[in-house]
Amino acid sequence: MTPIIQCRGVERTYTQGAVAVPALRGVDLTIGRGDFATLAGPSGSGKTTLLSVIGGLDRPSAGEILIEGRSIGGLDAAQLAELRLHKIGFVFQSYSLIPVLTALENVEFILRLLGVPRAERLARAREALHQVGLAGLEDRRPARLSGGQQQRVAVARALAPRPALVLADEPTANLDSANAGELIALMQDLNAASGITFLIATHDARVIAHSRRHIEMTDGRITLDESSSPAAA
Amino acid sequence: MHLLALLLPLSWRNLWRNPRRTLITLAVVAIGTWSVLIFAALFNALATGSRDTTLRLLTGHGQLHAAGYLEDPSVSHSMARPGPALRRALDAQPVAGWVERVRVPGIVQSEYRTRSVTLVGVVPQGERALSDVPREVIAGRYLADPADPGVVMGRDLAERLKTRIGKRVILMVQAADGHLAESGLTIVGLYAAGKPAEDEFLFTGLGTAQSLLGLGERLSEISFLVRDEAALTEVVAELRRAAPGLDVAPWMELAPLVYTIETFGRYYTIVWLLVMFTLMAIGLVNTQLMAVFERQREFGLLQALGMRPRQIVLQVVLESALLVGVGVLAGTALAAATLAPFHHGLDLGFLAPGAEIMGESRILHPALGAAESVRYGAIIWLLAVGAALWPALSAAAARPAAAMSR
Repeated sequence: MTPIIQCRGVERTYTQGAVAVPALRGVDLTIGRGDFATLAGPSGSGKTTLLSVIGGLDRPSAGEILIEGRSIGGLDAAQLAELRLHKIGFVFQSYSLIPVLTALENVEFILRLLGVPRAERLARAREALHQVGLAGLEDRRPARLSGGQQQRVAVARALAPRPALVLADEPTANLDSANAGELIALMQDLNAASGITFLIATHDARVIAHSRRHIEMTDGRITLDESSSPAAA
Repeated sequence: MHLLALLLPLSWRNLWRNPRRTLITLAVVAIGTWSVLIFAALFNALATGSRDTTLRLLTGHGQLHAAGYLEDPSVSHSMARPGPALRRALDAQPVAGWVERVRVPGIVQSEYRTRSVTLVGVVPQGERALSDVPREVIAGRYLADPADPGVVMGRDLAERLKTRIGKRVILMVQAADGHLAESGLTIVGLYAAGKPAEDEFLFTGLGTAQSLLGLGERLSEISFLVRDEAALTEVVAELRRAAPGLDVAPWMELAPLVYTIETFGRYYTIVWLLVMFTLMAIGLVNTQLMAVFERQREFGLLQALGMRPRQIVLQVVLESALLVGVGVLAGTALAAATLAPFHHGLDLGFLAPGAEIMGESRILHPALGAAESVRYGAIIWLLAVGAALWPALSAAAARPAAAMSR
């Protein structure tokens, strides 16, 4: 089966004035369908940059990235957006909700971009909010939700379109233990039930403990890549 | 369509994230629109007032003369009454009415003073439909019929001649055979139509004037009105075909100053619109650039969620379109409310002497036509939406990762 992610010699170098700062130094990585993988490493090790280039939010300076066997290097901004819309869900460290939309409308947003009919869209958005334990809070705007609730809305938004791949950047960083535990369990359940692939950049030992594959990065390189049996959530 | 249904409410809500900024921008657009519309209404009123005063005095929408009359408006340049072809053209549907006149220079003398005037011999019934002079008689009466031997003169001329209704004046003109003809005529009415006209035109019956001048049934001019001014060019062309030996001139050629004032009015309004639009555009672009800069992270997020760059451009443009649209509507409503009290006219009494020199009537009627309001509003709206493309394009230009890291 074609892997969902293939990175071949991926490099990303930022320039700050005349100084070149390498963030990724030749990353080779393959993630199979249905994986539940964590990506760890110290700050500045390149985790977020790797997620960004895999998701087409940034472009690598060198190397090649394939999503479901298709190279994304030649895609323009609109084609990358289209790819994200149909294939990839994002969960960011900060809650990243659209402030003028309610919880339900935030979850509905991508479904509306996809042109899902209204009745189906509402049903799927409500179901996603129900899955993350936010039933009854559909009409609240982000400013009236707690941090944990906002992050759950972001997860529901990422999952409602049923993407093939979810890229999550420190999804538990701003959550308390209870909320973090519930979120990990939710992601694990969805991985098991729907086969959605998760690649999660995290420092959180609780998330790492539940992953089936753990990757470590240091100074823009992969220094550890091991598979294990996940702990029960 | 479903994209607009998604983005319109989103854009509207985004506008109210910073109500103070939105209200200030709305006020700028509304005041700008108001000023353009008020300016246009006043200039239109000035141009229309000047035009109507001139056209409703004697000019009409156009006139026919013997060749050479316009250069030398004397009795020697007379023309026969209209023949069958010309009469058919004058009686055609697009022509609202027409009158025959004799119009020659002359001298009027009272027992105290002498003044040069233009003697106008008229058919009173026809003049009532074409000219405002019969309605502007302020003392005495207007002429009764073409054979009426009385004269109607301007109030100002009567004052200058130190004469009054019921007195006789001596009128001297050059007759058709070249001799100096004179006749004593009784003043039967005084009219008020502004000083240049009051001083110049002296009216008597057409038959009386023809008899004095020895013209038989010959005429100096035919003046006509059209039902729809859009058809004037066509009517003039038809009359020229029907009377190839005569000069047929539309009012624009007969009253070039009035035409120039009207044309200037249009251009002044456009210049004012451009000035106001430039000021509005600077404010709008500045505001939108600030809003876009503040929301860079959000635009990065929207792209990360799968919105295409052009959809982001559309969203920002929609925000401007809504903002300017509401501002234009408010400005238009404000302009209509401002003009409503002057529905029956704006009295320019304090400017009357100057206004008369420009051919203006004393009362201006500033009005805002629906089509004109829509046209100016649409121009402002379209230009402003065009100006919003700059911030919109800059919102969509950044890579999502870079935008989200700001």
